[in-house]
Amino acid sequence: MSSPLSKPQIIAHIQKSLNYTVFDSKWIPCSAKFVCMGNFPKGTGVMQIYEIQHGEAQLIQQVEKPKPIKCGTFGATSLQQRHIATGNFDGNLNIWNLEMPEVPVYTVKAHKEIVNCIDGVGGLGIGDGAPEIVTGSRDGTVKVWDPRQKDSPVANMEPVEGETKRDCWTVAFGHAINDQDRCVCAGYDNGDIKLFDLRNMSVRWETNIKNGICCVEFDRKDIIMNKLVATSLEGKFHVFDMRTQHPSKGFASVSEKAHKSTIWQVRHLPQNRDIFMTTGGAGTLHLWKYEYPAQRSKKDSDGVDVGVAGSVNLLQNVTLSTQPIASLDWSPDKQGLCVCSGFDQSVRVLIVTKLNVL
Amino acid sequence: MCPWSGRTTLGMSTNAVFSLQNQSTAVASGGKIPVEHLDYDYIETCKDVKYLERILKVLRSGEEGIYPPLIKFCETHLEKLDPRSRALRKENYAATAAKDEWSQIIDELKMWQRETKNIEISLRQQSLFDDLVNRNMPPIRGSNCSVPLNQTSHSKGKGSSSKCTLPRDYREWDKFDVEKESERIDGNVVNNSPPATINTGHPKIQIKVDASLLTQQEKFLLANHEKDKGNEAFRANDYEEAVAYYSRSLSIIPTVAAYNNRAQAELNLKHWHNAMRDCQSVLKLEPGNMKALLRRATVHKHMGNVQLAAEDLRTVLMKEPQNAAATQLLSEVEKKLKECQLQRQSKGRKIFIQEVEEEDDKSDNETKAEQTVCPVDPSQQVRGEESSAAPVERGDMGNAQKKPHGRGDGRPHSESSNSHQRSKGGSAEKYKGTQESNEKLANGTSKSDSTTSAQADQSSSGKGTLVGGVAGEAVNLDAPCGALPPPLARLKNEGNQLFKNGQFANALEKYSHAIQGYTDSGIDSPEDLCILYSNRAACYLKDGNCQECIQDCTSALELQPFSLKPLLRRAMAYESLERYRTAYVDYKTVLQIDISVRAAHDSINRITRLLIEQDGPEWREKLPEIPAVPLSAQQHHREEPPSAEVLQAQAEKTARDAERKAEAHFTALKQEGNDFVKKGQYQNALGKYTECLKLKPEECAIYTNRALCYLKLERFSEAKQDCDAALKLEPTNKKAFYRRALANKGLKDYLACSSDLHEVLQQDPSVQEAEKELEEVTVLLRQSLATASPAQPRKTVPITEVESDEETTAVPNSESSFIGEDVAVNLRPTNAYEFGQALNAACCSRNTAACADLLASTAPDKLPQYLSTKLDGHAISFIMEALDSHLLEKDPSLVYQHLSYLHTAERFSVVLMLLEKDERHRMTQLFEHLSAVESTEYTKNDVQNLAKKYI
Repeated sequence: MSSPLSKPQIIAHIQKSLNYTVFDSKWIPCSAKFVCMGNFPKGTGVMQIYEIQHGEAQLIQQVEKPKPIKCGTFGATSLQQRHIATGNFDGNLNIWNLEMPEVPVYTVKAHKEIVNCIDGVGGLGIGDGAPEIVTGSRDGTVKVWDPRQKDSPVANMEPVEGETKRDCWTVAFGHAINDQDRCVCAGYDNGDIKLFDLRNMSVRWETNIKNGICCVEFDRKDIIMNKLVATSLEGKFHVFDMRTQHPSKGFASVSEKAHKSTIWQVRHLPQNRDIFMTTGGAGTLHLWKYEYPAQRSKKDSDGVDVGVAGSVNLLQNVTLSTQPIASLDWSPDKQGLCVCSGFDQSVRVLIVTKLNVL
Repeated sequence: MCPWSGRTTLGMSTNAVFSLQNQSTAVASGGKIPVEHLDYDYIETCKDVKYLERILKVLRSGEEGIYPPLIKFCETHLEKLDPRSRALRKENYAATAAKDEWSQIIDELKMWQRETKNIEISLRQQSLFDDLVNRNMPPIRGSNCSVPLNQTSHSKGKGSSSKCTLPRDYREWDKFDVEKESERIDGNVVNNSPPATINTGHPKIQIKVDASLLTQQEKFLLANHEKDKGNEAFRANDYEEAVAYYSRSLSIIPTVAAYNNRAQAELNLKHWHNAMRDCQSVLKLEPGNMKALLRRATVHKHMGNVQLAAEDLRTVLMKEPQNAAATQLLSEVEKKLKECQLQRQSKGRKIFIQEVEEEDDKSDNETKAEQTVCPVDPSQQVRGEESSAAPVERGDMGNAQKKPHGRGDGRPHSESSNSHQRSKGGSAEKYKGTQESNEKLANGTSKSDSTTSAQADQSSSGKGTLVGGVAGEAVNLDAPCGALPPPLARLKNEGNQLFKNGQFANALEKYSHAIQGYTDSGIDSPEDLCILYSNRAACYLKDGNCQECIQDCTSALELQPFSLKPLLRRAMAYESLERYRTAYVDYKTVLQIDISVRAAHDSINRITRLLIEQDGPEWREKLPEIPAVPLSAQQHHREEPPSAEVLQAQAEKTARDAERKAEAHFTALKQEGNDFVKKGQYQNALGKYTECLKLKPEECAIYTNRALCYLKLERFSEAKQDCDAALKLEPTNKKAFYRRALANKGLKDYLACSSDLHEVLQQDPSVQEAEKELEEVTVLLRQSLATASPAQPRKTVPITEVESDEETTAVPNSESSFIGEDVAVNLRPTNAYEFGQALNAACCSRNTAACADLLASTAPDKLPQYLSTKLDGHAISFIMEALDSHLLEKDPSLVYQHLSYLHTAERFSVVLMLLEKDERHRMTQLFEHLSAVESTEYTKNDVQNLAKKYI
C-alpha cells in the first residue's frame, strides 16, 4: 500500500445528533445546505434543512409531515427551482418547494406500499430530455413519473399478475445521453437486477446476484452506460462494465467483498466517475477506485464481443459508528464534501481529501 | 489485544485446496496450521499468500499465544507478496488532519460557502424566468406504458430466475450471519446473460447543447460538468466520446480548458486538422497558452511542418525551460530537421524520380499512414512505401525509434510527455493506418499510369534499384518529367525534393519558376502544367495559404478537369477556410473519381456533421451542385480486378494525348450534355451527345448517356440502338446492359429485358436497381405469359412496384386495373405455376366466381401441391370466400374435399396464425354453412373434426 500521506483521508468534519431516525440526507445543489429526511418516534415524518456555517450544521428549517419520509432526490428539478422529490411510507410521491414546504407542489399516490427508493434525472443539467423521477416500492412495482403529468406514471414496470411480488429496494437512472435514450436499473430483495430501457419500454438485461440488492448506481446518469455498481445484503458489491453486452454472458463484472455486513449504499463521486464510496452495516465507509482494464472488450471463442471487467482498489476506509450508515451524498459542488446519516440517529459531514490527485 | 481478530481472512474455509508451491511438506487442506509454521524462518520462505493469510489469522487470534513482533513481521512479508491482500485491511477511524492542513481545508470550505451563497442568491433572483425554461423541455413520455417484469429479452434469463433464492422473511435478517453467507458465496462470480450490444454510440450523443435559455450561472456549471465528463472519458481512453463531451461543453461556453482538452483528445485520435483548429482557438483566446503551443507543435510535427513545430517548442521552452515534454519533443523534431538538411546537403544519395504527388498526398492524409505503420512492422513499411521514394523512409527514422508506448495515460490536463503517445486503444487506428498506406499504394500505381510512359519506366527502374538495396547514390534531378524541357524538369524535381524535406516555401519558389518558365517557353503540355500547379497548391496548403492554394487548384482543374489531387487539395483548403459547402462538393467529386480516398470519406463525415449543425436537416438544399464525374475519369478500387471500364479509361487517356484539342471540345460538349441531363433537359442533352459522337464515334460512355436521354424521352428503340452500339464498343458495359433492359421493358420485350438484367447482375450482383427491375419484369413476364392477353396497343405502362404475388391484393397496382373483370383466367391448370397465376389473377380482380370455377376444375388432392409455398392469408380467405359463395351450393362434397386437403398445404399452420379477425369469421361461416348442408359424402361430425383443424 502506498504511503499513508498520499492516500485520501476521510475526515469527520461535523457530527450532529438528531431526535429522529434519519433515512436519507441530500445536498441541496448549489448551496452549502442539506436536507435530512426521516421519521419521529411517534410515527410522523420529518424533513430538516441544515446549513453549514462556521464549522457547524445549523438547523434552518424543520417541517413535520404525517407520514415518515423514506427517500428524496433533486435529480429532476432545475437549478433555479431546486424542488425535492420524496417518497414516504404511505406510497406517496411528493415534490416540495423548500421555500414553502407546507404544501407539496406535486403529489401522487404512487404505490400501494412504502416507497423504498427514488431517483431523478433530466434536471440540474444532468441528462438531456424530460425531467423524470423513478420510484421503487415494496409493492413490487417501479414507476417513472414526469412532474408535469398528474396522477399517472409515464412508465410502469410491474410483475405480471400472479407472479410473486418482489420488494424493490433500489432504483437508479442512467444512459440519459439524449432526448430519447434512458435506462432505469432496479434491484430487488431476491438479488434480481433488472435494467429497463425506457426508449424501447423493455427489459434490456437482468441478472441475479443471489442476495438482496441494497443499492444500484450508474457511475454517471448522463453518459453512455459505462459502469454500474450493485451492492448486496451480504457485504459484497459488483461493478458491471456496461459498455459491452454479450448475448449470453451479459455484462462483465468484478465483485469485491467489504464491510463484513450489508452494504447499504454506493455513491459515485460527482467529479470523478471512477471513485465511489460504499457504506456498510457496521458503520463503515469504504472509498474505492475502479481501474479500467487495458482492453475493455475482447472477442470470445465465437468471435462475439465480450466485456472485460477492471479491478477495484480500496483507497481508504473508516469506521464511524456501530450502526449502519444508511445514506450518503456527495456534494455536487464541492469535491470531497459529503453528508452521511446512520441509524445511530446522527448525521455527519465528512471531508475526503486528496481526491483531486487520484 | 488484537482488534482485528476474527475478521481477517474471509472466505478461507472455502478454499478447498492449499498447495505450498515451494514446500514439500504440504499441509492437509483446511487442516490446522502446525505450530512450527508460526516461525520467522518459515514465514520468510513461504510464498503462498493464502497460507500466509491463514497464519496471520491464527497469530492474530492469539490461539497460540500473542507475539506482536511476529504478527508485524508476517504482515510486512504478506504486504511484500500481495500488497492488496484483504487480510491487510485494517479498520480505520475518522482521520484528523494535521493543524496546517486542517486550517487550509477549513479556509477552502469557508470560501466555498461564501461562493455558493452568492451563486444561490443569483440563482434565486433569476427564477422568474422559469417559464421560459419549461417551454424548452422535451415532451412528456407516452403515458403509463407498462413493462411486465418477466419479459426477458433473452430466453436464458429464465435459467437464472429459477436459481434465485427465496427472499428471506424480514425477521430472519436478525439472525443473518453475514460471514457465513459471504463465505458460501465467495469465489463464484455470477455473470448472467442477454443480447449483444456494445454501448459506444458516441454519434448518439448530441454534440450541441441548447443553452440559450439558461442563465450565465447555469451555463457555467453545465459547461464545467460536460468538461468533467470529457475528462473522465479521456481517462478511460474513450477519446471520441471525450471529444463529444468537450464539444458539448464548448457549445455552452467556449473555454480555454475545454479547447485544450479537446485538442489533446483529437491528437490522440490523430485528427490533426481538428487538433490544430482547437489549438488555434485557444491561442486566439489566450495567446501564449503553454499547452496549446505544445500541442500545436505536436500537430505540426505530425503534419510534417518540422520547422513550425520547432518554433512553437522554442516558445514554450523560453517561458518554461524546465518543460520536459517540450525538451524531448524538440530534440526529436531537431533530429528530423537535421536529417532533412543532411539529405539536402549531401545532394542526393537516393534516387528521386517519383512525383511529389504521392508523398504529399500521404502527408495531407494526416501523415498517419507512415507514422503508424513503421513502429508496428518495419517490413510492412517497406512494402507500403516502396513505390514512393526512399527518403520517406529516412524521414521516418525519428519515429521508428520511438517505441510504441505501453499505455496512453496522457491526461488532458497534465503536461506529461503524452502528446505524442499512442494509446492502446489506438490499435484500430493502427490498422486503419496500414490499410490506408496500402490504398495509397494502390492510388500510386494507378496514378503512374496517367503519367507518361517515360516516367513510368523511370520509376520502375528506381524501384528496382531500391529493392536491390543498391540505393542509387545520385539524385536524378535531371530526370525527365513528362514533356517538360530539361531545365523545367530540373526545377520541378528540385521543388519535389524540397517539398519532401518540408521546406515548403523553397519548393513553392521552384514550382513558381517552373510555371513561369513553362508559360514563357510556350510548350503545349497541360498535363505537366496541371501537375506543377497541383504541387504548388500543395505547398500553399502546407503554408496555410489557403486562398492561393484554391487558386492553383482551380487552374490545375481548368487544365485537367476531374484530376484527383488538385480537387482533394482544394477541398482541404476550403475546409480550412471553413467554406464547408464547397469543400463538401469537392470531396464528393473526389469520391466520385476514386471511392477509396479515405481522407475524403473522413472529411465528408466531419463536414456533414458540421453542416447539419449549421443548417439543420435541410443542409443539403443549400449545397452547390455536385458535378457528375464522367465515367472515363473514375478510378476504381484496387481490390476489384481492373474492370473493362478502367482499361477503357486508360486507353482513352492515351488516345486523348494525341488529340487533346478535339478532346477539350469533346469534353466540354459532354459536360454540357451531362449538365442538361442533371437539369432534366433531355432533349438538349441529346443534341450535345449527338455532337459528341460526331467528334468521337467510339465513345462508349456517350452512347450510354444518350441512351439514358432516349429512355427518359421514351424513345425506346433509339435507346436500344445506342445501347447496342455501346455494347459493340464495350461488350461488358453494365450501364449499357441495364439501359438496354429498360429500353426493352419499354418496348415490352420482357424476355430480352430480363436477359439483359441477368447479364448486369452476373457482372455485379450488388446492383440493387437491376434486382428490383428484374423482380418487376419477371412479374410482368409471367403476367404477359399467363394472361396471354393480346397486346393491346398501349403507350408506356407506368410501372409501379409490384411486390410479389402474395401481396397483390394488398397493393393495388396498375396491372390489376387492366386485367379487370373480363380477365381470362386459365381454368385448366396443369401445374403449380399455372394454378398460381390463375388464382392470382382471380384474386386480384376479386373474382370469386372465377376462383370457384378454378377450384371446381382442380382435383382436391392436387390442391396443396398447387398451392405449394404460394399460400398466404389473402389466398386462403379468398378461397374460403369462393367456396362459400359459389361452390357450396353447387357441390358441397367438393367443398368438403377441398377443405380436407387444403389444411395439408405447406405453411398452412403458419398462415392460419396470421389470419385477421374477419378472415377467421369468414372461415367459421363457411364451416357453419357446410355443416348445415346435408350430404352423403360426409357427416356433421366430419365437418366438426375438420373445422377443428382450421379454427
